[in-house]
Amino acid sequence: MKKYLTVFKTQLQHTLTHRADFFGYRIANIFEILIQIVVWSAIFGTTQQVGGYNYSEMITYIVVGRAFSFFTANFGLEHVIARQIQFGELSNFIVKPMSYLKYLVSMSTSRSALGLISAIITSLILIVIFSNYIIAPQNPALWLLIIAMLILGYLTHLFITILIGFIAFWTVDISGIFFSVKALEKFAAGVYFPLNLLPAAFVNFSLALPFAYTFYFPIQLFLGKTTIHDGLIGLAIQIAWLLALYFMIKGLWRLGLKKYESVGI
Amino acid sequence: MKKYWSIIRNEIQRQFTYRIAIAAYAFGNIAELVALAIIWTVVYQSIEVVKGYNASEMISYVVFAWFFSFLTTTYAFEANVARDIHMGTLSNILVKPMGYLKYMMTVATGRIFVALLVVLIQVIIVFYFFWDKLIFSIDFPTALLLAAMLVVSYLINLLLSILIGFIGFWTAEIAGIYLALKIIKNFLSGFYFPINLLPATLVKISLFFPFAYTAFIPIQLYLGKISFAEGLRGLAVEIVWLVILYGIIKIVWRFGLKKYESVGI
Amino acid sequence: MIIQVRNLSKTYEYYKKQSGLWASVKGLFRREKLYKKAVKEINFSIEEGELVGFLGPNGAGKTTTLKMLSGILYPTSGEAKVLGYTPWEREAAYQKQFALVMGQKNQLWWDLPAMESFILNKEIYEVTDADFKENLDELVELLDIKDVLDVQVRKLSLGQRMKCELVAALLHKPKVLFLDEPTIGLDVVAQKNIRDFIKSYNEKNKTTIILTSHYMEDVKELCKRVIIIENGEIGYDGDLTSLIEKYAPYKVLKVTFEGGGVREEEVRKFGEVYKFTPNNVTLRVPREKAKNVARDILSSNLPVDDILIDEVEISDVVRKIFSKEK
Repeated sequence: MKKYLTVFKTQLQHTLTHRADFFGYRIANIFEILIQIVVWSAIFGTTQQVGGYNYSEMITYIVVGRAFSFFTANFGLEHVIARQIQFGELSNFIVKPMSYLKYLVSMSTSRSALGLISAIITSLILIVIFSNYIIAPQNPALWLLIIAMLILGYLTHLFITILIGFIAFWTVDISGIFFSVKALEKFAAGVYFPLNLLPAAFVNFSLALPFAYTFYFPIQLFLGKTTIHDGLIGLAIQIAWLLALYFMIKGLWRLGLKKYESVGI
Repeated sequence: MKKYWSIIRNEIQRQFTYRIAIAAYAFGNIAELVALAIIWTVVYQSIEVVKGYNASEMISYVVFAWFFSFLTTTYAFEANVARDIHMGTLSNILVKPMGYLKYMMTVATGRIFVALLVVLIQVIIVFYFFWDKLIFSIDFPTALLLAAMLVVSYLINLLLSILIGFIGFWTAEIAGIYLALKIIKNFLSGFYFPINLLPATLVKISLFFPFAYTAFIPIQLYLGKISFAEGLRGLAVEIVWLVILYGIIKIVWRFGLKKYESVGI
Repeated sequence: MIIQVRNLSKTYEYYKKQSGLWASVKGLFRREKLYKKAVKEINFSIEEGELVGFLGPNGAGKTTTLKMLSGILYPTSGEAKVLGYTPWEREAAYQKQFALVMGQKNQLWWDLPAMESFILNKEIYEVTDADFKENLDELVELLDIKDVLDVQVRKLSLGQRMKCELVAALLHKPKVLFLDEPTIGLDVVAQKNIRDFIKSYNEKNKTTIILTSHYMEDVKELCKRVIIIENGEIGYDGDLTSLIEKYAPYKVLKVTFEGGGVREEEVRKFGEVYKFTPNNVTLRVPREKAKNVARDILSSNLPVDDILIDEVEISDVVRKIFSKEK
């Protein structure tokens, strides 16, 4: 266990030395949120409702949604994995008495920890600024459920990212694939816009996939647009997906490793 | 002169070896566009006009902003510049009888070639799906002016990329800064939405910067929202900015090189 | 005089980086600036056609010096002239007459066959078609790389890549060539190939070459003259053979004994025992005492069969210099 703690600490130091990057990303995030808010403000200047959302709900969707996405973010981990595979750094892990998957989870958690602290600060500032518009749930059980979903959401997102990173076992041309898979993932998670702006069939379809549970679904709970009962069902589906993803990673890892060993990459 | 042609040819060949990666970006790019189109379609179900744009104008805006931005993008060329600086490959060019600025501009020109082919295919797909929602009406002089604006826009973007890449002389951490600058740039250029959705003061501010002339103004011209004369004025402003940027680059290059020479990076 | 260096100095600035999590957090707010004198007031000059080796441990200042001579680094003080030019003014006329090959950085386009990079260099250095063809054919022949010219550089082995790097650097027939660790990471055979090539190229074209290397073999085979740089200062500049006198105040006595030989205690009084078997003993003795010790051994009652006074191996000398590395 201690070795994974050390991985965590070392990675934390690494992130701290890259502070300029760090602040750059935060500024970029704030701008992105502001842009979305400006656009929706302009739209709601002429109408009361868009796709079943009023102004407060939409602002909440954006601000709280952004906070949620910080909780579940892993900041481009797929590129780190791909680099380790392609430059042969993976060999360093194979020869050590340490599981690569556990290494990834502890490293990523550390990478995310700092992001998380700064994200909480950013989110708090935004939430204070827009406090008049933000709708928060009162029920503590609901909060508990949301937090559980976010923790699982973090893992789901992490597992998906690891799977994407493993593509690097088979091809060197990864940047475009990564970008597209990530964009589709964001789309299906409801990051670009609330999924229920789309026809019901599409919403149901995306609720059968793991992505919506990392973003869209917790926000619906937060906004009170989904009942706790439905939320629990969502949680169950999320757990099922997490298990499925775990086994997919195991399987893909074995295949990838075989490829890695035979080619020597 | 021949050496520049040689560079372009090499770069095109190099890009062809990455054709799969480049083509793979297409899916993600289209997903982002589709997300924007969906949002606006839903919005226009309850409103007729947003800030002077009707539904087909807005969809046209979004699609053409997307199209124009791909015609004028440098595909994160700043990363190449920064990499040359960090990896010390800049030295390879410094010891040769050739100017680095000219070299990089030539590489960039060769670099967009394959990507442009992919964009053309993307655009055909996108136009096919949005056909009945898009506005197509343009006369020959306007088309000529538009083409001129896009060429100058590309050059502005290129100089900006190189300038941002030069940040690499002073810090190794650039990814965050890039992202922040890119988002601010996209915002001010009207890539996500027409900037006149913004409060009037912000519009004035953004018209002072070069960015608006790379997307917003050309599309306004295309949609017939500004006159030919105003378009010409926009082109003039673009050219003035191009000259200013070139001057800034020359100066920053001199300082950066002094740093490079003194530190050896 | 092709290369003339006078009082050349280079000082780097850098930030202190302490280990530990807390230090990293502190580093967010305050960083301590430090200075490192990489090269201190060095002087040397090199004649046309010389092949000079720069020796020294990591971080001694070899690469820094080469970078200044190729105009990549601006010196803190001092001057240098190469072919009559000041390198850091980076005049095209100078750039067309020299080349720099760095073992750890490549100039070839990674994703393309080496041939494309050659053609690009031809245009950059404005080599005529006829010269290009002639030079290329000759180099390709010498280095035996005909088969790899049309293979993507990323797919080449390290040795093949270094050969291609050399070709790219030599297409414009530079008068001066700087080689920074050209054999680094290569296997023994590839190292020898590169070495042989450099040697014959230097002899044939009278190109002035400065070479830095970690490998003793490179220096031993190639360089008559070596400049040893330690801590940014020149520790030695001269013939490789007389290097030994300065750095090795010892000679080696190789003594062979007959019959059952000797015990170690019996020979210890003559000098430092370097290698020992009962019949073969190698002793290290101070240079000036070598003759006397040899006589003492012969006149002792030990069963001496043969005695040989020899110089210390060059590689041992250099290893000794390098082992002072901090």
